[in-house]
Amino acid sequence: MRNPQKKPTLDSVTSINDDGSRFVIHPSDVKGSFTLWRKVSALFLIGIYVLLPWIPINGYPAVFLDVMERRFHIFGITLAAQDMWLLFFLVSGVAFTLFYITTFLGRVWCGWACPQTIFLEHLFRRFERWIEGDAAARKKLDNAPISGSKVFKRGLKLVIYFFLSAIIAHIFLSYFISIPQLWEWLHNSPKEHWKTFLFVAAFTMIIFLNFTWFREQLCIVICPYGRFQSALIDDDTLNVAYDYERGNPPGHVKEEKAGDCIDCRRCIQVCPTGIDIRNGLQLECIGCAACVDACDEIMDKVNRPRGLVRYASDRNLEGLKTRFLRPRTILYSALMLLGITVAGFAFNSVKPAVAMVTRMPGVPFYVTDSHIRNQFQIRLINKDSKELSFSIFAQANGQSAIIETSGTPDGTILQAMEERNSTYVVQVARDSFTGAFPLEILVIAEPGHVQILQEVEFLGPDPRLLKKNTP
Amino acid sequence: MSEPTKNKYEDKLRPHVYDGIQEYDNQLPNWWLWTFYGAVIISVIYWFSFYNAEVMKTDQELIGAQLAAVEKARLEALGELSDAVLWQMSRNPGFVSSGEAIFKEKCVACHGPDLKAGAGLAGVNLVDAEWKWGNHPMSVYTVVTNGSPDKKSGMQAWVSELGPQKVSQVVAFLLSHHSQQEMAAATSENEPIGL
Repeated sequence: MRNPQKKPTLDSVTSINDDGSRFVIHPSDVKGSFTLWRKVSALFLIGIYVLLPWIPINGYPAVFLDVMERRFHIFGITLAAQDMWLLFFLVSGVAFTLFYITTFLGRVWCGWACPQTIFLEHLFRRFERWIEGDAAARKKLDNAPISGSKVFKRGLKLVIYFFLSAIIAHIFLSYFISIPQLWEWLHNSPKEHWKTFLFVAAFTMIIFLNFTWFREQLCIVICPYGRFQSALIDDDTLNVAYDYERGNPPGHVKEEKAGDCIDCRRCIQVCPTGIDIRNGLQLECIGCAACVDACDEIMDKVNRPRGLVRYASDRNLEGLKTRFLRPRTILYSALMLLGITVAGFAFNSVKPAVAMVTRMPGVPFYVTDSHIRNQFQIRLINKDSKELSFSIFAQANGQSAIIETSGTPDGTILQAMEERNSTYVVQVARDSFTGAFPLEILVIAEPGHVQILQEVEFLGPDPRLLKKNTP
Repeated sequence: MSEPTKNKYEDKLRPHVYDGIQEYDNQLPNWWLWTFYGAVIISVIYWFSFYNAEVMKTDQELIGAQLAAVEKARLEALGELSDAVLWQMSRNPGFVSSGEAIFKEKCVACHGPDLKAGAGLAGVNLVDAEWKWGNHPMSVYTVVTNGSPDKKSGMQAWVSELGPQKVSQVVAFLLSHHSQQEMAAATSENEPIGL
């Protein structure tokens, strides 16, 4: 460490020294209500992450993305690869929800819910604190010459970090192969599933490097969220902010002309990204509110009111009230409601069975002495966990054509998760054929009376030619 | 009096100005620079192993090799097939039951569950003593593989969907309903094909 009392500026990133080398940040411990609630939120979210693959809903884990079978079980709904278009709602929904929340509460996601922060602050740094001591002790250890105790502490920390990374990676894998499968594979030789083994090994190493060494660099340099936060927030967004009117100019407690800030630098010491919140909102700020708790503690000690650093909007700092209802939030709320409604309809349209009608390869239609024939292939998919019986019906709405069908018999049984390409032949008597017409093919799956209606075109020759050729 | 030595890395402003906004010429993080160096090193390894030492195969080479393997298997399957081999298959329960499963899924639509086609079904009767394109197993095999020569009203080609192995299985199932003497005595409407 080159500069133990480094002064954060707006001109460069604290965690990178002038020569490009790394400045390791050791945030001090902090106590307070935000810290407590952040811990509660973190433990809750870690609990969800660990438990989801264990909770069975409708016979499958709550979230089971079965990539091998191309079946995605999400909270009791089973989706097939054909339902991939629903991903649109997931991707756009996640992005828009982030925008929506940012408008009101700034980067609350970063400090309170992002896996990077949660695993780093509430798992990895906890062990670091336990093994190497508080911030001052960790800085001292960084600068200490190599010794038996340093090697032991660092070694123990890295071993624990490695196991934590491996556990996180394995839980992640269980979302894709389920817990029983994971348990089975853990007992097999890596050679039998070497691709998966390689994936988990690589993932473990990435997590390990991230939380051992990379840390806040991900939030500052890689994550795009901080870069465009200026576009997402406005004067009424609640951010972690320093009340400059009240605090400035900083000075000693006894100085008469000084503001409420006593320049104790506690807010800098506790900051996990090494900024000085008194410089205002910066892209490095992950909104973790550690400085809020730190400043409140100091203010209590010097008998000044709390909230010199607090969740506040720009308007708030100017002495005005924060407006939650404003054109941006009204527009966002309307769009949010629209999105939720459309997504609701879309997910409701997902059925336990899929049927897709395609024309068979080859000529589009066949003409025999008595009939015109169209051949179709119907891809039947049973997405359910029990067997389904499929029946297929064809109808020509408002047409005089007499339809005969053959192929898949009524009540064709498909086992759970089975897929089958079934032949379906539709014939129309030559005499009743008056030209191409839309043909409705209705597939009904029982039990549950799931109806899937597909429209295809029944093709044939020009009926005038047909008449001419008739003997 | 000597000038105080300037910090080599002191924040330097870049000369350009846009809308009154200027930027510093700060040093990039060293780890960032290493991702560049790493990419340069890997590109050399990549170029060498894919295009010079041929340790690794490009996607095109992999696909070419796979296609060649498929073509080889197809040709081998064709080369081995003959009337005699098809008859042999038709007496093998494993072949016949595989063929039956395929028949029930695909062919039944036109030829009927009893292979007799008949009312309302588009196909020809497969168990009578009359053949359309030849009373030989290889004729049947050729019709199933490439489709009926009558492109207007006849059967489509099945090889693209089933592949040669399944085609031979379904032909074996069909032949299991006939015997060699009976088929040789049957008649053919057209000149036999595929011989």
